[in-house]
Amino acid sequence: MRPGFSPRGGGRGSGRGGFGDRGGRGGFGGRGGFRGGRGGGFRSPEGGGFRGRGGGRGAPRGRGGRGGFGGGRGGFGAGKKVLVEPHRHEGVFISRGKEDALVTKNMVVGESVYGEKRISVEEGETKIEYRAWNPFRSKLAAAILGGVDQIHIKPGAKVMYLGAASGTTVSHVSDIVGPEGLVYAVEFSHRSGRDLLNVAKKRTNIIPIIEDARHPHKYRMLVGMVDVIFADVAQPDQTRIVALNAHNFLKNGGHFVISIKANCIDSTAAPEAVFASEVKKMSSENMKPQEQLTLEPYERDHAVVVGIYRPPPKLKK
Amino acid sequence: MAAQNSTPSDLYKCVYTFLLENKFTKAAQQFMKQTKVTPQDPNEESLQSIYNFWVKSPEAKKRKVPPSKAEATNGPSAKKAKTSAESSSSEESSSEDEEDAAKPTKAALAAAKVVPAKATAAAAKAASSSSEDSSDSEEEKAPAKAPAKPPAAPAARKKDSSSSSEESDSEDEAPAKALAQKPKAAATAAPKAAVPAKGAAQKKESSSEDSSSDSEEEEPAKAPVKPAPVKPAQVKPAAAPAAKSSSEDSSSEEEAPPSKKSKPGAYSAVPPPASVQKSPAAPAASKAKKTESSDSSDDSSDEEEEKKAAAKPAPVKTTAAKPAAPKPAAKKQESSSDSSDSSSDEEEAKKPAAKVTPAKAAPLKPAPAKATPAKEEDSDSSSSEDEEEVKKPAVKVTPAKAPPAKATTAKEDSSEEDSSSDEEEAAKKPAAKPAAKPAPAKTTPAKKDESSSSDSDSSSEDEAPAKPATKTAATPTPSKPPAKKAESSSDSEDSSEEEEPVKAKPAAKPATPASKPATPTAKPAAAAESSSDSDSSSEEEEPAKAKPTAAKPASKAATPVAKPAAAAESSSDSSSEEEEPAKAKPTAAKPASKPATPVAKPAAAAESSSDSDSSSDEDEPVKANPAATPKPATPAAKPAAAKPAAKPAAAAESSSDSSEDEEEAAKPKPTAAKPATPASKPATPAGKPAAAAESSSDDSSDSEDEAAKPAVKKQAPAAAAKKPALAVTKAAAESSDDSSSEEEEEPKKAAPAPKPAATKAAAAPTKKAEESSSDSSDSSDSETETKSTPAKPAVTNGKAATPKASTPAAKAPAKPAESSSSDSSSEEEEEASKSTVKPATPAASAKTTPAAKAKESSSSSDSSSDEEDAPTKAATAPTTPLTNGNGKRKRDEESSESEDEETEEKTPKNKKVTTTPQTFPKANKKSSNVPFRRIREEEVAVDPRLADNSFDAKYGATGDWGEKANDALRFTKGKSFRHEKTKKKRGSYRGGAISTSVNSIKFDSD
Repeated sequence: MRPGFSPRGGGRGSGRGGFGDRGGRGGFGGRGGFRGGRGGGFRSPEGGGFRGRGGGRGAPRGRGGRGGFGGGRGGFGAGKKVLVEPHRHEGVFISRGKEDALVTKNMVVGESVYGEKRISVEEGETKIEYRAWNPFRSKLAAAILGGVDQIHIKPGAKVMYLGAASGTTVSHVSDIVGPEGLVYAVEFSHRSGRDLLNVAKKRTNIIPIIEDARHPHKYRMLVGMVDVIFADVAQPDQTRIVALNAHNFLKNGGHFVISIKANCIDSTAAPEAVFASEVKKMSSENMKPQEQLTLEPYERDHAVVVGIYRPPPKLKK
Repeated sequence: MAAQNSTPSDLYKCVYTFLLENKFTKAAQQFMKQTKVTPQDPNEESLQSIYNFWVKSPEAKKRKVPPSKAEATNGPSAKKAKTSAESSSSEESSSEDEEDAAKPTKAALAAAKVVPAKATAAAAKAASSSSEDSSDSEEEKAPAKAPAKPPAAPAARKKDSSSSSEESDSEDEAPAKALAQKPKAAATAAPKAAVPAKGAAQKKESSSEDSSSDSEEEEPAKAPVKPAPVKPAQVKPAAAPAAKSSSEDSSSEEEAPPSKKSKPGAYSAVPPPASVQKSPAAPAASKAKKTESSDSSDDSSDEEEEKKAAAKPAPVKTTAAKPAAPKPAAKKQESSSDSSDSSSDEEEAKKPAAKVTPAKAAPLKPAPAKATPAKEEDSDSSSSEDEEEVKKPAVKVTPAKAPPAKATTAKEDSSEEDSSSDEEEAAKKPAAKPAAKPAPAKTTPAKKDESSSSDSDSSSEDEAPAKPATKTAATPTPSKPPAKKAESSSDSEDSSEEEEPVKAKPAAKPATPASKPATPTAKPAAAAESSSDSDSSSEEEEPAKAKPTAAKPASKAATPVAKPAAAAESSSDSSSEEEEPAKAKPTAAKPASKPATPVAKPAAAAESSSDSDSSSDEDEPVKANPAATPKPATPAAKPAAAKPAAKPAAAAESSSDSSEDEEEAAKPKPTAAKPATPASKPATPAGKPAAAAESSSDDSSDSEDEAAKPAVKKQAPAAAAKKPALAVTKAAAESSDDSSSEEEEEPKKAAPAPKPAATKAAAAPTKKAEESSSDSSDSSDSETETKSTPAKPAVTNGKAATPKASTPAAKAPAKPAESSSSDSSSEEEEEASKSTVKPATPAASAKTTPAAKAKESSSSSDSSSDEEDAPTKAATAPTTPLTNGNGKRKRDEESSESEDEETEEKTPKNKKVTTTPQTFPKANKKSSNVPFRRIREEEVAVDPRLADNSFDAKYGATGDWGEKANDALRFTKGKSFRHEKTKKKRGSYRGGAISTSVNSIKFDSD
């Protein structure tokens, strides 16, 4: 249920370790021991998952900041008060408690991908585990929290994720699309690709592709038609990259969600101008932008643009 | 032959004997059949002796005088000697041929016998070198043209000029042509009598002879004229300078010999190669001279020398003009210019100077050359030379600049001189042409220009202060008008010039000397720029003295002649110039709009003869330049090559640029003006540039001074005066001054300056045309120049100018807007000063100043306006200089409405021409400095709703889950931002309630 943050060990093991370390996890001196017990201990499915953490390790104050999250007081709901309700976007949930949190239903129960908190909710006999989705770490989450109208990513959808990186967001997308959906995660960096592969190992709906998104023909045999392309490539020519992949894999009337980092395109120009420029480019690629949203305050000088590819005349209205 | 119809003559025997003696047996037999002559008594006089007697007889004097002398010595023997000389070396032969040709013409009668030989010689000439041929052809053409029209003469000159080496020749020829018109009648008669057979050669000769005879006759009246004729003749032979000297010599034989001697020396001194040639030439010359003693001898000797020098030295010298282009040319030009202005002495001096100039290019050489020249020439030449030398040395510091400047100046001078000469007469023309030719080659021309300018100035000054300005505009004048400097400089110069003129308009020389002195002084004084006034005065005095001595004495022949000529020129010039301007206009028209302008100018000129002169001068210069340049051009790349060479010699990149630019500019314009005389046009442009350079030099000096003394405007004027003087004195000096000033102000300027100058020069011509209409010639000239400069500034400013401007700006960063005119002038000056082009630039600047003046005081007298304006300008200039960078723009904006107009017209040309390109690169560079941008904000239309990407601008920001985060992150940057962000990522963030509202901005979907 809620192994607390102990899973983070696993997450770290998956390669995201760097993450944790960087994050200051090192601060948890005691964790080392924790890890040792990780084999089965951390997963010890006890009712109070987070309490479990204490289960072998007994770290006194345990998780610093994080502890507060899940454990200090028993997590969001401490099991008792937590209420998870679906978000406007299918597959996304909001954990309402003392503090609200954006969560997705964990497809791989009992396992945390990158050390995120998990929230287990017992509904009758069944326990449903949710994973907290931190908007400061995921632009898709930031877009959702920011109030984007449509993400077009929903259960059963086939999504092409360009710029998958270590797979943190991909794991949430995987949660959203569920077992019926597919996520083609394209990442060019072998280093992050390693973490991505580890994530994909446990999530069957993720198809990791370690290739350059600029050359879709290199992985064309792996990818079928997709409903949505999510792009977070942060490249100067990202619009072109998305267009290339859209031309190859995006169905007509499919959608794209592009996160634009202004500084990656032109650090000297005003972000607004950069966004406008990118939007203009999209328009010339049969990609019709439908909405734009700033990612402030979760990301600086970022914006997300959602649009439709080759909209069918009918769809227009 | 015709004996049947004719009555038996005692001569038949002689003829028959002659035929037999010459182994024309068949002809002799036929002759005997026809005439039934009886063999002549061996004791009787031979046909040759009779011929000689006839030639020497008083009756034949008019025609023969020169020829007779030539014949006397030359006679058969002379011819033989010549022929032998020819045989000696191809070069020599060519030179000799030329000489021979010249001699034959002179001693046409004698030639009759020799005719065959001459014919061969002529052929040899043709064969010997295209240049010679060209010269011959040019000469022929020139004469023909000359008769036809004065303008034609210029054209002819231009054509002549087209021939590279023989530019000088061509120039001379052109002058000859000019003279030819007059002389031809007489000359033709004499030549005809002498020998029809000679044909072209004779024509040339005749032209030369005529010119000489005419000149002689006229000489008394118009020394200049004579010189011109003579010069033409000489020019034909080869070296215009020589011609000048010869002409001068002819005018004053006494002087001539010295001058000749000096020349040889000068040559030797000047052109190292030449020295060798000189020696040969000297002998030949001495022979010819001695024998002829008169013009012919001088001419021949001069020619020979020149030719030899040119030939021996190499192609370069061969045609002083061509070689001259480089250094010799410059020297020659200088000398020629000087000579044209002053006289042979000056020429000689100039030559040395020229040499020196070349030397400047190669600094070391000049000094020696100068020394010799100085000695030879006496005060004037020496002063000029000295000055030049001094300047050169000084300049040396900025050798590159100086040389270019000189070259340009030379060109300008030549052009000016040419114009002046054209205007004045063939004499002047020759001089001018020589100058022009030389000018291209070197800075010396600048000096010459200065001198010329001084002359013009003097004349103009005499006529009116305003005129001086105008005159200065032409060369010196330009500088004066430039006013910035010009103001002070112009004032001082004007005053000096005026004084000089008063003493003797010979002024031309004085002016030159003065200019030279000025420069020298300037340099020395340069140190004491503030003392510019004193310098100017001293310079003036010096010039006056030198001139007086040389010029006034009249004995000085060269100078005297030049002076007389100058005087006459000034008077006659104004008139003649006006007329000539008209002609020039026609011709000029071809070169470019200049002619038009000139015309306009004439009208404007009406104000003051000086103005007209200046205008005419300018026009003429242009023409002359064309001629001069043409020669270079004609040769093909000669102009370019010559200029380049000269520049190389100068070692001044900027100079080369400027010259190139000038050339290019000139070419473009010329082409535009006249396709036919493309060469001439180029030349003209070059000439203009040169003139511009001169003026620019003055201006530059002025500007520099001003720049130097932004604080003290008053001083600045004085300084300006000094500087102008210096500038006037010598392009080199100018360059040096410029360099110094530039250095002082900034090193950058030097480089920029050239371009501006070039551009200006180029622009100047066009501008002139434009401007000419309104202001007096000076104003027009100056305006045109200024315009050109302005244009440059404007154009360049924006583009090329910018760099330059920048430097200027840097120098005088201070005043952007005081007065656009001043700015422009300062800019121009700066630009000019910056590069060798300086002369050009100066001119441009000068012009600009004029323009500015014009603006300020429309077309009021240039001098007065200039002076008055000058101060203001000076004041502004200082400031403007500062803003030069801006200045150009400012100019455009503020002052240069007229300038703008002019610039607009001109600018195109300029831009097209060369400057722009160069400038553009710079501009591009600057632009290139602009950071790379994928997105040009100004080009992207941003949806108002998306204009603010901040959180606060988002819908539903208040109370949002991220509001707290926004508060924490909003003002953080860098490390702290990263820190805060990391904390958020850790999951400790508490945002409160999460809203599911839609806050995105929707694009209007159809």
